[in-house]
Parts: sequence; structure tokens; C-alpha cells
Amino acid sequence: MALKTRIIDYSLDHPRLITALMAFTTLLLVAMAALPSIWPERFPMLHSIRIDTDPENMLSPEEPVRLFHNAAKKEFSLHDIVVVGIANERDPDGVFNPASLQRIYRLTEFIRTLRWPSVEAPERVEGVIEADLIAPSTVDNIEQGGLGSVRFSWLMPEPPKTREQARAIRDKALRLPFLKDTMVSSDGRAIALYLPLSRKDLSWRVRKEILGFTRDWEMAGDQVHITGLPVAEDTFGVEMFMQMAISAPLAMLVIFLLLWWFFKRLDLVASPMIVAMVCALSTMALLIVSGKTIHIMSSMIPIFIMPIAVLDAVHILSEFYDRYPRYRDRRKAISEVMHTLYAPMLFTSLTTVAGFASLALTPIPPVQVFGVFVAIGVLLAWLWTVTFIPAFVMFIPEEKLEGYGHGAGGEQKESGLLARALPAMGHRVVRNPGVVLVATLLIAVVAVWGITQIRINDNPIKWFRADHPIRVADRVLNRHFGGTYMAYLELSAPEKEEDFDSWLTGLEGRLRAAMEQADETGAVPYGALRDHLLELRGKVRDKDKLLDALSEWGNRQADSTEDDALYDAWQEALTLLAAERQRGEVFKQPQVLRWMAGLQSHLTSGPLVGKANSLPDLVRTVHRELLLGAEKEFRIPDTPQAVAQTLLTFQNSHRPQDLWHFVTPDYRKSVIWLQLKSGDNRDMEAVVRQVEDYFRDNPPPQGLEHHWFGLTYINVVWQNKMVWGMARSFLGSFLVVLVMMVFLFRSPLTGILSMVPLTVTIGLIYGIIGIIGKDYDMPVAVLSALSLGLAVDYAIHFLARSRMAVARAGTWMAAVDEVFGEPARAIARNAIILGAGFLPLLAAPLVPYQTVGIFIAAIILSAGVITLVVLPALLTLLQRFLFPATGGTQS
Amino acid sequence: MKRTLPLLFSLLWLGSTAAWAQAPGVDEIVNRANLMAYYQGKDGRAKVHMTITDSQGRKREREMTILRRDTPDSDDLAGGAYRGEQKFYVYFHRPADVNKMVFMVWKHLDRDDDRWLYLPALDLVKRIAATDKRTSFVGSDFYYEDVSGRDIDEDDHELVKTTNNYYVLKNTPKDPASVEFSYYLAYIHKQSFIPVQVEYYDKNGEKYRVAKALEVKTIQGYPTVVRAQMESLKAGSRTVMEYTDVRYDIGLPEEIFTERYLRRAPRKYLR
Repeated sequence: MALKTRIIDYSLDHPRLITALMAFTTLLLVAMAALPSIWPERFPMLHSIRIDTDPENMLSPEEPVRLFHNAAKKEFSLHDIVVVGIANERDPDGVFNPASLQRIYRLTEFIRTLRWPSVEAPERVEGVIEADLIAPSTVDNIEQGGLGSVRFSWLMPEPPKTREQARAIRDKALRLPFLKDTMVSSDGRAIALYLPLSRKDLSWRVRKEILGFTRDWEMAGDQVHITGLPVAEDTFGVEMFMQMAISAPLAMLVIFLLLWWFFKRLDLVASPMIVAMVCALSTMALLIVSGKTIHIMSSMIPIFIMPIAVLDAVHILSEFYDRYPRYRDRRKAISEVMHTLYAPMLFTSLTTVAGFASLALTPIPPVQVFGVFVAIGVLLAWLWTVTFIPAFVMFIPEEKLEGYGHGAGGEQKESGLLARALPAMGHRVVRNPGVVLVATLLIAVVAVWGITQIRINDNPIKWFRADHPIRVADRVLNRHFGGTYMAYLELSAPEKEEDFDSWLTGLEGRLRAAMEQADETGAVPYGALRDHLLELRGKVRDKDKLLDALSEWGNRQADSTEDDALYDAWQEALTLLAAERQRGEVFKQPQVLRWMAGLQSHLTSGPLVGKANSLPDLVRTVHRELLLGAEKEFRIPDTPQAVAQTLLTFQNSHRPQDLWHFVTPDYRKSVIWLQLKSGDNRDMEAVVRQVEDYFRDNPPPQGLEHHWFGLTYINVVWQNKMVWGMARSFLGSFLVVLVMMVFLFRSPLTGILSMVPLTVTIGLIYGIIGIIGKDYDMPVAVLSALSLGLAVDYAIHFLARSRMAVARAGTWMAAVDEVFGEPARAIARNAIILGAGFLPLLAAPLVPYQTVGIFIAAIILSAGVITLVVLPALLTLLQRFLFPATGGTQS
Repeated sequence: MKRTLPLLFSLLWLGSTAAWAQAPGVDEIVNRANLMAYYQGKDGRAKVHMTITDSQGRKREREMTILRRDTPDSDDLAGGAYRGEQKFYVYFHRPADVNKMVFMVWKHLDRDDDRWLYLPALDLVKRIAATDKRTSFVGSDFYYEDVSGRDIDEDDHELVKTTNNYYVLKNTPKDPASVEFSYYLAYIHKQSFIPVQVEYYDKNGEKYRVAKALEVKTIQGYPTVVRAQMESLKAGSRTVMEYTDVRYDIGLPEEIFTERYLRRAPRKYLR
């Protein structure tokens, strides 16, 4: 390995140059990232920092489900919604008292003004879409108006003055299916406002404004709760950055303190910290310079790079600490350390790189970016570890290192403990390899069972701790209302309407049938139209043009007649023609609406869907109020005409456009709004299955098709991509690492052995996840890649050092003492330092960071333990095959 | 104002027939504009083609015939003699599935209007409590009040500006709680007194609704807006109403504006 010696010697000979080079490249990268972010106008050629907190971007913008989501939202003018709930536990009438309603009225007026000039196009305003705002003062009431009349009026045109008036508002709203459980809780105590946003990334700002406006409401007994997926996602994005600013340095601090405690020398310990900082900074700078956005995933990059960057340096320091006392020559000691560790460090780095780079194979863009940049960071860490750490050691004057190191004079209690415990453990293991093996197999069996119990699930709201205001709001509002998680089920008639010729034949038949049914005068126009149709059919081959021509001709016939009865007959016949244009309007068909109503009650009868709003509800409600408000008239009328006239009546309200949130004007697509009580992906998936079941058991009329959209559904899609993408990339990198191991050790058996600790570790960790019922969510999925990269490292170090020891000692059993000396101590120190380094993440208010913290710590510690226990047991059992040259049967 | 250019020419021509010696007072402007927009002739009828275009450019069309009958015989401004009760009968032709649907309105000045609805498919005649006239007229951007006329006594009127062509009136509701606007500006053409543009402002002072007269024709001597548009700026939609077959003073009998005629449309006057 000429290269190895050249690199090590060069670093030892030119410490200043190495240091300068590292400082220069890091500063350059940081400058290239920072300058355009601070002065974008001065550095237009460079990318400035771009932040993206939208989990939707977990899917590529071209992903079909996103394209459909956006198209459907536009088609039905639906927007992402912020839910503001107001509850009052103090007043006997809840919020339905004059003072609370007065406040809610003022709040609504304030919400109307929550609009700001767009960042990209200042002439456009973005924010709350006032026309679609749902609040007591912005929605209509339909009710009986006395003397058999029906009344359309604002539900709350102005705040009520008396308690009776306030309660009347509640009672009116509870009668309207649209408002009950959506705007007014069914217990009549709380109100929810729905704020559609033109851009969901304004929801944090909207939330902040509303919290500011309602700051003193608590004193009056009104509790304000704000939730909804957009708020959760946007707020998470904001808190994520604060989190990174706290967690990453805190983790560094803990690692630093532990290093200091183990290795005593502030100056020596500084070097791995410098490497970690340099790598994290350079990688993040590279990310910005390359124009990638900082996303939820990529914000975690420093947290991943820093411990990995420290890892190799800990091995060096550990070795140096143990060997220096032997030589009392820093150059000789560090040079020997570097030569011993060069190959294992290179390979541990390469395996870690392989683990993370494999994420580039997932179908999720932010995960790809994450994987690639962590891989880059790991490579950087290797480069600076093998060059800068030896260089740094050369800066320390020899006399300062006097009395330094393991066993040198003042024996340290801690290293003394490790130094005593590890060999004892090692000997016990090699004496009872069978016990260890059986125990490991038992653990494996339990782990496999645990893995089969894994529940794949995620929910952005649960990214917050249970006591976070958003989680509290989520609980309170979902207790009072139908649900705050919106999912939309679009139903559509097949794209293709009937073909021209069969329509033509049908029209002729319909004209003939009408003719036969009519009286003598009435039959005349039908007959005439039919004759004219037969004339035209060969010439005009387009439905609309043919109808235009026919009606125009018919109108002339009608106008030219003097006879009123005949004129009326012509009008009837022409109306039949006009109805032909509406034949495609399937969502006016009573049987279609009834089928939808059935689907809706099928869904709401279960515990998951708290509320559904739909076109059938709208028709049924107006129909009921038209027929004196009788409960039995809450039904779909019997003809498409009756449906159309009911809907036209509805459109005489203050908000006629509301209709188009449920059906397209061509009546070929309709959407059912579902309010789910939980945003858990598994609950959404269960609802999707319920719909499939209903479609299977009740074949839809008119060949209706269905498609889902809405954030709750999108989350399910990206989760599935994530889980299977991660599984694939994990398997891929497992194989790559295995091949690398076989190559490194030039032995298939040793290669396979080196995979044992990581396999057992991952099995154990994921088995535990399955057993304790922790949801397999986004951070858990990403951890598999990290565990692969880290857990194999200890095995590489252990096996490499074992081989060296066997080479020196002759047999494995004779080498056990050496192996459980320095090498085992290095691994143990490493596991303790890194494991503890991640524990500060447990204090994070955001759950994914807690998850990452606890599981990385668990992975590292168990990988360390398994390496030190299971591997020596296996080496003992397999020594005959592993160390054949030395003859392995001497035990 | 580019779109209203042809309109301006026709207005200028109209103006020549009615030259005013001196600037009229606010009261006179308001009354003349009111007469012009809603009370011309003793009665009238028109076929209306309505096109509603939403923010996505999707169009919906409706066809109806509107009959109107004024109770006062006079078109005299003096003492507001032209004002009084009016009756409207709106008969739907298209779309086919609302054919024969009828809206009937008795407009009163001293109390809430009476409104009826006939739904042929449900064979139902229904009274509608019309406490609020500012609801959508059959799903369009026009309100009932835009079609039947807002009573001038409900607002305070102020002449805020006089341009070469227009009197600009600011109209502020006397009962702000009863309406959704805080005020509206009406641009009233100086010679014809046709309200050419009306802009509504909400409680935050934002303009959110604009009515425009797009085309004016003189029919039987009455300058008549034959194409009118209403735009809802917040919803991004607009409605154009085109009036054809406009006729005045056809002698509509009072009896056809009764419940009895909802089920049996007065075909003679709808032809």
C-alpha cells in the first residue's frame, strides 16, 4: 500500500499545508453558500439557500398522484385548509353566548384581511380565500320562513345580542348537514372556522396572526385551537430549523465532553471536533451551492454526518492513547496507528458511503438528496480524518504529551474499568461460544417475529410532542367535530360519452316515443323534427352541430306558427332537443346521487370518517326545506329535472359557488369531502379499503370511477413509496457491502461474518419497533440506512484487528487477549461516545428527532455489544475455517 | 374603460336628445338614473341570455324571459311619481331541465318583497322569504337586487366627482348591517343618466364587485342597456346578461303576476 504510506507520511511532513488546505476549501464552500444567501442580488450566478418544508415534495412534482391532486383541487376550487376551533368549557352554552360569538365575529372579520402580496409576484395577493371561508358570519342558513315559505339568509349576519339569539344560531346550524360536525360541533359547544389558503406554506403565518389576535380570549373562557395538516407541516418546517440549531451543537457538546473524559487532552480531543464541524459545514454548503433545497430530510444531514465524522477519529485517538506510552514518540506512535487503522477506516467509510448512497435508488427526491450528501460528507470525513488528524498530532509539542496515554502513570478509573471488563468478557465468550450462539439465535427468532408485527404508519401531526399546542388542538377539535383531516374522493363518469351513431339512433327513438305519447297537435313537432333529423343525419356528423341545426330549424317553425297550442307543442319538442345536450350530466341522475349517499353513509358509519359532505347532502337538504322542512323529505327527488331545480334553488343563496366545490358544471365529476378524525396513514388506508369494498359490493351506476386526493391521502402514497423504496435500497446496499467485505477480507466466510453484527442489530432494533408498537414512520425508515453504515464498522475493525492479532499470536485463542485489549477498548469507547452523543436529541420537541436520537443510540450501542460478544463466539466456533494456516484446534 | 368605448358613442348620441341647461342636484341624478335603469315604460319584457363564466373559464348558460309591470302609470320624476310597486315574472327556458321554472317578485318600497318560486319537476309553488335581496340571482354574479333595483331610499347619496362624461355618486347604506358592502360608487352618464359602471367596496375598503353596462340601444324611444356584466372580483367569476326581443308598453295584465299563473305560464307574453 504505497498510497497509504504516502498519504500518512505527507500529512505528517506537511501539517501546516494540510490544515491550510482544509481551512481554505471549507471557507470557500461556506462563502459560496453564504454570500448569495445574504446578498442574492450581488451573486446572481450562485444559488442562495432555499428552504422547503412541504412534505408533499417527498414526491416528485411529476408524480401522478400529485398532478391529479393539483388538477382536482383546481377543478373543484378546493384549497388546503387551516382549521381554527373555538371551544368554551365555562359557559353553559359553550361558545354560543353573545360575548363569544361577538369575538368570533370579529375574528372572522380579521381573518378576511389575512392576505399578503405574493413573494414571487408582488401584484398578486396570497392568503385566506375569503369567498370560501367557512364561519358563522359567512355561511348561509336555509330554513322555514313562515307561511310555508323557505328562507335563505346569512346564518349570523351580525353578532347576537341575547342568549336566545345565540342559541338560535346554534340550533339553525345543527339542522344543516353541511355545518353540523363541520362548523358547529354536534354537542353544540364549539365552533370551527375553515380557512382555505391560496398557498399552504402561509399557514404558519396565518396561525401566528390568529394566535396574536386571540391572545386574551383565554381569560374570557374561549379556547382557540388551530390545526390541520398544512399548519402541522408548515409549523414543523419552522420548528425544524430551530431544532437543528439546538440539537446539532448539543450533540457535539456531549460528544466533546465524553471524548475529553476518555482521552483527557483538550488539544487532542479538539481535532475530531474540528473534522466533524468541517465536514458538516462543507456538506451543507455544497448542498446549497448545488441548488438543492433544505428539506425536512436534508436538515438532518449534519446530525448524521457529525457522529460518523468523529467515529474514525475516535479509533485513532483511542489507539494513540493506548500506544503513545509505549513509544513516547508522537510521530512514530501516530504513524503506526495510522498504518494499523488505514484499511479498516477506508473500508468502514466506504461501507457507510455505500449505505447512504443506496438511498439515491429510492423514488423519493428528498431522500435521494439526503443519501447522496451524507455519502459526500462521509467521504470528506475520511479524507480529513486520515490527513488532518495526524497533522494535528504533529502540532502538539512532544513535551506536552508527556505522561499521556493508557497505563501511563495515573491509571484512569474508566479506562481501567474497560481494560478489566473487556478481556474478562472476551474470555467468557470464547469459552462458551455455543451459549452465545443459542442466545443470539433466540434473539433473532424473537426479532423476526417482532418484524412481522411492524405497523407501517405516519402522521405529520404526530411529529409534534403530545403536549405541543398543535397536538392539543388536534385532540380537542377531533373530539368536538367530525374531523380535521380532509380527504377527497372524486367520482367521475367515464371520459367517453356514447358514440355519435348510437346517440343518433337513440334520439330518433326518443322523438318517436314522444310523438306516440303526445296528442294530435303535440305529435306534429316531434314528427317534423324526426323527419328533419333523418335528412340531416348524413350531412352533420357532430352532436352539438346537429342539435344546433335542428333547434334553429325548429325555432323557425315555432315562430312561424300562429296557433298558440302548436307553438307550445313546438316548445315542448325543442325542450326535448335541448335535454339531449344534458344527457351526459350523470350527477343529476337520482340513482347516481342515491348510490353516492349510500357510499357516504357506509363510510360515516365506521369510526374513522367523522363527517362527509357531498352533493347528495346538498340536494337532500334543499329538498327538505322546500317541502316544509319535513324530515322525511330529506331525500333525493325522483327525476334529474327535480334535482336540477333543487340545485338552482340552492344557487339563489349568498354562496352559489359552493356548489362547484362538489360537482363540476358539466355534472360529470363530483367529489365527496371526507373529514377523518385521525391523520394516521393506516386509518386513511382503511378508509380507502372501505371505499373499494363498497365499489365491489355495490357496482356504481354509469360506470363511475373513483380517485383520491387531499393531503391525508398524499401522505399515504409517499409513505408507501418510502417504505418500499427504503427496503429496496437497504437490500441493495446490504449486498454491495457484503461484496466489499468479501473483497476486503479476501474470504467469503469472513465477509459473511462481518455482516452478522449489523444483521442482528437491525433485526433486533426493528424487532423491538414491532414489539413495542412504535410506528414504522419516515425517520425509522431512514435509520435502516444509517444502521447499515455504522453497525458494519465495528465488525470491520474487530475482524481486521483479530486477523492481525492471530497473525502475531499464531492462534485465535492466543490472540484473544490482544483483541480484547486496545481494539475492543476502541470499539467500546466509540460506541459509548457516539451512543451518548445522540441522546440530547431526546430533549427535542419534535418527535422525529427524538426517534432518530433514541434509535441511533440503540443501534450504535447494540452494534458495539453484538460485535464484541457474537463475533468472538463465531470466531471461536469457526476458527478452523477462518484461520486454517495456523490450525485452529488448539483450544 | 376601453371596453365601453362603443357604448360611449351611443351615449353621446343619446345625450344630444336630452341637453341639460345646468348641472342637476344629487337627488335628481339619483332619480333619473333609477328611472333609467328600472322604471322605463309602463311595462316591459325581454328575452335574456345569461352567460356565467367562472374563474376557470367554464361557462354556463341560461335563457329566460323577464316580464315587468309597474304599478304607477307615470314615468314622471316629479315627486317620485314613477316609483312604486313593481312586479316581475322570470320564466326559464334553458337549460332544458329547468324549463318552465318561474321566479316571481312583487317589489315593494315600504316592506320586504314578496317572492315565489315554481319548480315544475316537483310540481311545487313556493314562497321565498325575501328578507335579504342581496343573494345570487339564479347562481349568477347578479343579485336579486341588481335585477329588480335597489330602493334609492336605502342609501345616502353623495356626488363625489363630476367628470367630462359622468357623475360619480357615492352611495352609503343607511343600515350597514343589512348589506355586505360599505358603499358603492356609481358612474352615471351625464346625458343619458345610465349607470354605466357601479363598483362595490367591502368593509375593508376593497373593491370586490363591478357592474358594467356593455351596450345600450334605444328601443321604442327608451335608451336600454342590452348587455350588462357583473364581475365578482373575489370569486373571479363574471356574468353577462344579453337582452333581446325587448319590448315596452305591451299592456301586461296585472293578473298574470299571480300564483295561479306560475303553473300555467302566460304563453302569449312569453313568445
